[in-house]
Amino acid sequence: MKDGRFLTLGIETSCDETAASVVADGRFVMSNVISSQIDIHTAYGGVVPEIASRKHLERINDVIGKALDDAGVSAKEIDLIGVTYGPGLVGALLIGVAAAKAMAYACDIPLVGVNHMHGHIAANYLEHEELEPPFMALIVSGGHTEIVNVPDYNKCEKLGGTRDDAAGEAFDKVARVIGLGYPGGPKIDKAAKEGDPDSIAFKRVYLEQGSLDFSFSGLKTQALNYLNQERQAGREINVNNVAASFQEAVVEVIADKAVMAAEKYGQNRIVMAGGVASNSRLRALMEEKAGSRGIDVLKPSPVLCTDNGAMIASAAYYAYRSGVKPDLELDAVPGLEF
Amino acid sequence: MPNFSKDMKILAIETTGKYGSASVTDETGGVFSACSSEEMNHLRGMITLIDEALREAGITKDELTHVAASVGPGSFTGIRIGVTTARIMSQMLGIPCIAVSTLEAMACRSLDKAISSGALYVVPVINARRHQTYAGVYEAAFTTDGEHQSAIPVMEEKQYMIEDLLEELKKKLAEHSGAVAFFTGDGIDAYSDIIESTMPEGSFIFADEDLRYQHAESVAVIAHRKADAGETLTYDELIPEYMRLAEAEQRLRAGTLSDRIRKPVKI
Repeated sequence: MKDGRFLTLGIETSCDETAASVVADGRFVMSNVISSQIDIHTAYGGVVPEIASRKHLERINDVIGKALDDAGVSAKEIDLIGVTYGPGLVGALLIGVAAAKAMAYACDIPLVGVNHMHGHIAANYLEHEELEPPFMALIVSGGHTEIVNVPDYNKCEKLGGTRDDAAGEAFDKVARVIGLGYPGGPKIDKAAKEGDPDSIAFKRVYLEQGSLDFSFSGLKTQALNYLNQERQAGREINVNNVAASFQEAVVEVIADKAVMAAEKYGQNRIVMAGGVASNSRLRALMEEKAGSRGIDVLKPSPVLCTDNGAMIASAAYYAYRSGVKPDLELDAVPGLEF
Repeated sequence: MPNFSKDMKILAIETTGKYGSASVTDETGGVFSACSSEEMNHLRGMITLIDEALREAGITKDELTHVAASVGPGSFTGIRIGVTTARIMSQMLGIPCIAVSTLEAMACRSLDKAISSGALYVVPVINARRHQTYAGVYEAAFTTDGEHQSAIPVMEEKQYMIEDLLEELKKKLAEHSGAVAFFTGDGIDAYSDIIESTMPEGSFIFADEDLRYQHAESVAVIAHRKADAGETLTYDELIPEYMRLAEAEQRLRAGTLSDRIRKPVKI
């Protein structure tokens, strides 16, 4: 406790960001330290799990130390530690979990494990002071494309998800093939701004009537076939047009389904989360489609969309408050479900 | 048993092999340990083991003066769990770290038995699969005062193909007539056939299973000696000894990383 405020330290190492943050009362970000490994993994065209694990270990102490320093608090003033225990890369997760447990034990602080996906949703509690459940959540990231009903702080009901590639994964693959490189999401977003989204007729995959699931692998194949065909015909490829058309085919389906889910469950708010939630076209389209039906769209600022410790701290705070028991035998669960 | 300095209370962590363990040395020179009975339960069980070892020793975590970790070689995942735990405890408790070589600790664990069995060398061998090992060779000796045994490294700790290790070891043994090597580590489980068919009869002994695997007790003993000698580290200096680059890094350095992966394809 400091100045009557309950302090939570959040630790996140599920993929390629080593992150820690101090959050007061589950809502107010006092520090948010993110050490990205993106420069290292770019040389390999994607995240290399063994290298990510090694880097997390080298950085975790200083990231936690800086999170405490930036917040102006000591370890002894922390009331709760929250750590991502899944889903994610197992070798990466276990650095955060081992560090959190060692700190919890050394400083006598309760520790709770946080589902990374719940963390992404909780990023919105940090951005929007008044936000409380219930609401509909749309999580779009490198590994996830999910629509989740959130009736309460600690309840998440997954209504639909991807049956093959996640949206971010599809962005990465197409970006690589059109020469934009890694990470694909932001690069496609940027190139698309200079392109015409109607120039190439990529299909919209809605699956069965009423389905809230996604499938992007067919679209990806269509894009690859298109590129091959153009190349064989000797026609020059307009990278910006491919990016814009491909992106439009992805985000249109996502926006439509998120709005459909909100209407079906009578929610008048859709909360966006995950790395791809900072895609500018997805944000614009969500506002357009939801707005026309009287549904509000909330989203965290880009820094809270990427993996970070603050969102984990917020989720931990609400989990602890609702009675989740502290656990020093916490294990990493790479395939953790919602 | 070495003479322990009175004011040192060291926590030692060993998670590089199948079974995790934690040991605590107290001011009387006693070593108190807790060992997991579950395989590869390092992450889940580590704090419980540390807590048990401290209780056994009757000291609190705040009384600890050093934290030591077996830093490898061994299971990459295991190494990381132990080293991360030690680094964070060091940072949070404000105490220095000590790095202990896993192979040296394994040699130390077998030293008594090796000497009493008449062996000249102790050879810890960790199975790194596909005929690979992490290994070293130590001479089992007495220190100059004639009282304490010590393991003196005589072949570099590194990654060896099992066949190469045995060839070098045979040369070493040939320098002393009747010299015997005492093998320890899970390399025995993996390569006993190769060892038995390569080494001359009577030139080797296998450690029994109760001594064969990593244990924090010998990590604690070595850590104590290092603490006495002032060989301590800050938490950020405590780094794993993997003895091997990540596979992708090996390929990147060798220039054999697939171009398709490394470079965006230009159309």
